[in-house]
Parts: sequence; structure tokens; C-alpha cells
Amino acid sequence: MTADERIIETTELTKTFPGGIVALDRFSLTVRRGEVVVVIGPSGSGKSTFLRCLNGLEEIDSGSIVIDGIPLDHHRKNRLLIRQEVGMVFQSFNLFPHMSVRENIDLAQVRVRKKTPAQAAEATMELLKKVGIAEKADRYPHELSGGQQQRVAIARALAMTPKVMLFDEATSALDPEMIGEVLEVMRALATEGMTMIVVTHEMGFAREAGDRIVFMETGRIVEEAETERFFGSPHMERTKAFLSQIL
Amino acid sequence: MRALFHRTAAARRTAFIDIGKFFLVAGIALWLLTVGTPGLGYHWQWYRVPRFLFTIQEGVWTAGPLLQGLLVTLEISALSLLCTLVLGLTTALFRLSASFTARALARSYLELIRNTPLLIQIFFVYFVLSPVLDIGAFASAVLALSLFEGAYAAEILRAGIVSLQRGQWEAAHSLGLNLFDAYRYVILPQAVRRVLPPLTGQAISLVKDSALVSTIAIYDLTMQGQTIVAETFLAFEIWFTVAAIYLILTFGLSLAVRAMERKMSGAPLRMLGGPA
Repeated sequence: MTADERIIETTELTKTFPGGIVALDRFSLTVRRGEVVVVIGPSGSGKSTFLRCLNGLEEIDSGSIVIDGIPLDHHRKNRLLIRQEVGMVFQSFNLFPHMSVRENIDLAQVRVRKKTPAQAAEATMELLKKVGIAEKADRYPHELSGGQQQRVAIARALAMTPKVMLFDEATSALDPEMIGEVLEVMRALATEGMTMIVVTHEMGFAREAGDRIVFMETGRIVEEAETERFFGSPHMERTKAFLSQIL
Repeated sequence: MRALFHRTAAARRTAFIDIGKFFLVAGIALWLLTVGTPGLGYHWQWYRVPRFLFTIQEGVWTAGPLLQGLLVTLEISALSLLCTLVLGLTTALFRLSASFTARALARSYLELIRNTPLLIQIFFVYFVLSPVLDIGAFASAVLALSLFEGAYAAEILRAGIVSLQRGQWEAAHSLGLNLFDAYRYVILPQAVRRVLPPLTGQAISLVKDSALVSTIAIYDLTMQGQTIVAETFLAFEIWFTVAAIYLILTFGLSLAVRAMERKMSGAPLRMLGGPA
């Protein structure tokens, strides 16, 4: 992998929460441009913390994070720059409830990307068509189903034209019949060549859309491999045990 | 259909009973008043009151001292309310700031103001600060009231801000919004809407507390009332009238806020983007 191909480089990340819970323990991972990395593991293994550290929602205790050549350090400017290039989708959607769907998606385009309202509106409609809910543009979040809300959240993150998308258990809070519509949007993104890090329990999605699987436990990588190899012939006993439990 | 009819009939019956109870309570209160008043030995002279409100001479309408006082009260309250909101918001943001200096500053201000009586603060501003700052009685009154109410408004606003889900901040941050934009577009619109009822209460307190500025020679509603009572001995009539004027003012204020609240409630804030 050449330097140019690497879009995310994390080395020796450690993070301990107050109370002594170790979320990341010398965790290193490099992601190529256009790669879809699926992170799996039991709850409390540090998957979400890893994602949240990548855009500075959590601060690491030590180690280094470089995204598209920008180091995530104590400079506020760098942190803002990285957040502009990294989109994030949360388990609990986190749409802005006082804004319509359209306003939710417009906001950062106008305020951060400095687009004119007209340019933003055009991009917003384009994105809403892409996630399949153009007709809901003037609705408020509480008027939408969970699946629709999450698709709006994805559109909102995409509106920043990010270089990387992070999905933090994006389907875990959804009713079963709505998981499919969100995964479909994510699959389409993966096919388009978006760089994605996906924390999920959906093994079907991991198999189908993931280029590489990372299995985490207690803040460390237990095993990481190309998708086929990972599911086909896992090397570690722990991986086998985990997979036999969830598959 | 039948069930629906029965329910509405029952509801109507309950409403009638309720209204009946209200008149019963009101009637008892009125009866007690009429029975009790002669015992007071007070000679009511309501007919002397109107000219203190306004006079009409040869078709020309002139505001009496009470209405002039009301105008002063309105001016002081409106100006103080504006300063209260600015000061309250600034202090709330300071308290939530990452800077130690800002937090310490906000904290000292809050503790100082909330743990001393307003009357003493008014005296302090008028007798100590105003010569230093070279401001008059009116400005002193506005300053003292804003400082006092601002401390309470700050705590109300802060409570509203911290009551929001963490996810709202995280979503704003993850989109690359800076702190100012996050507050302005995401956090404050939701927080302010949540704390509008207690904030209205604080505004009403401000109007009532403004009566205390009569102690520093400002001819507000209360001061005018006091002067009239001193001249005419119409203590009951004048103070009842003054109280009624304050009531109209504060009740009008809450009605206005309630109307504003209804207008703003485009999106209910029950489900803060959380899971369905």
C-alpha cells in the first residue's frame, strides 16, 4: 500500500475511560481509499469508541490518527477539517428534531461548505432521491419511521461530500423490517467506492459488502482478514467461537 | 357511535358539575368579603380612584400618575428583560465553557447575586456603583434588575442546554459545525423552547421585582401609588388598583409567551431524533 492509497492510519491507539475500563489497547488499523472495513466484536469491545475517536468525539489517551494526511491532534482547526471529511451515522440517528428533513441536510452545506441555499437545496434533493425519500423533504424527523430517519441521517452526512463514512451500529435501533432499507443504502454506497468503516452486528452485510473484517475484543484486534478468508477459515479460536455464536 | 355519544354526555355532565363548583367557591369568597368588610371599619372611596389613572378635561385625555408610573415600570421592565436575556445567555455559555476563567467568572457572579437580597443590590448599584460609573437612577435600576434576574435566567438556560441529548452535540460536531454554529442552529433553538415556561416565570418575577426600584427615587407604578396613598390615605383602593395593574401586565406577558410558544411548536420536541 502506498502512502497515497492510505486514507486512514491509526497507530497504537489507547483509550481508558474513567473507572478503568479499557476501550482501546494499542489499536492500529490502516484503511485504503475505497475500502469497506467491517468491525465486529462483542459489546464493550471498543468498536464504537474506535469510530468516535476517528472524528474526535472521544479523545485518545495516546497514539496517532491521520486521516487523508491531516493529523488529528490538539489543533481545533485540524479537528474541524477532519470532521468535514469524515461523515458519521449514529445508532440513534441524532437528527435535529426542530428542523425539517430538508433543513437537517441543508444546514452543514450552507454553514460549513459555504454553499448558497440554492446549491444546497439542489444537492439535498439529489441525496434524498438517492436514499429514496425525496417525498419526505418537508417532514419533520418525528413524522418519519426509524428506517426513514436513518436514511435522512445518511443523506445528511453525505451532504458534506465526505471522503470517509463511519457507521456506528446504524441498524441496531431499528425494527427488523426497517433494517433492510438502510442496509441497501449502505450497500449502494459501498459499490460506489466510498471508503467506509462499519461497526455492525449484521453478518450478512459484512459478508456481502465488506472488503475486510476486523474482529475486536477488549480494545484489541483479535483477527483481521479479507472477508472471504475471515468467514471461510478463521485462524483464531476466539474468532471461531464468536462466529459460531452469532451465525 | 353509541359509546362515543355516552362518553361526550358524561364529559358534559362533569363539565357542568365543575362549573357549578367554581361558582360555589367564588360565591363563598364574595360572601365572606361582604360580611367581613364592615368589621374592617373602612370607608371605601373607590370613586376617588379614576382620576389617578387618567383625567379627561374638555375632551383631552391626560394620563394620571398611576398610568405615568406604569409607563416607567414598562420601560424599566422591557429594558431589563432584554439585558437579562443577554446576560443570562452569556453566563450560561460561560458556565458550560471549557475555559476555567469563564467558568469561575460565571460561578462567582451567580453565587454573589443569588445569595444576597435584591434590595441590597439595588442600593449597592445606586449608592456605590452609580457615582463610579456616572449613571443615573434609571440606568442603576435597569442594571441592578438585569444583574439579579440574569443570574436566574442563566441557570434556567443552562438547565435547558444540558437537558439536550448528547447525540445532538455529536451530530453537530460530526458535521463539522463549529461551536458557534452548533449553539446557534442546533442547541439553543431546542434548549430555549424547552425552558420557555420557566423563562416566562422569570420575566414575570422581573416585572414584580421592578417594584423595588421605587426605593431609589424612581417614579414607577409602586412609587406613584405610595405618593398618592401618602397624600390621600386611600390605602386600600390605591394598592388594590396598583396590584390589579401588575396583574394585567404579568398575565398579558404570559399570554403573549403562550401564543408565541404555540406558533413555534412546528415540531414537537418529544422525540429528539432518538430511536422510534
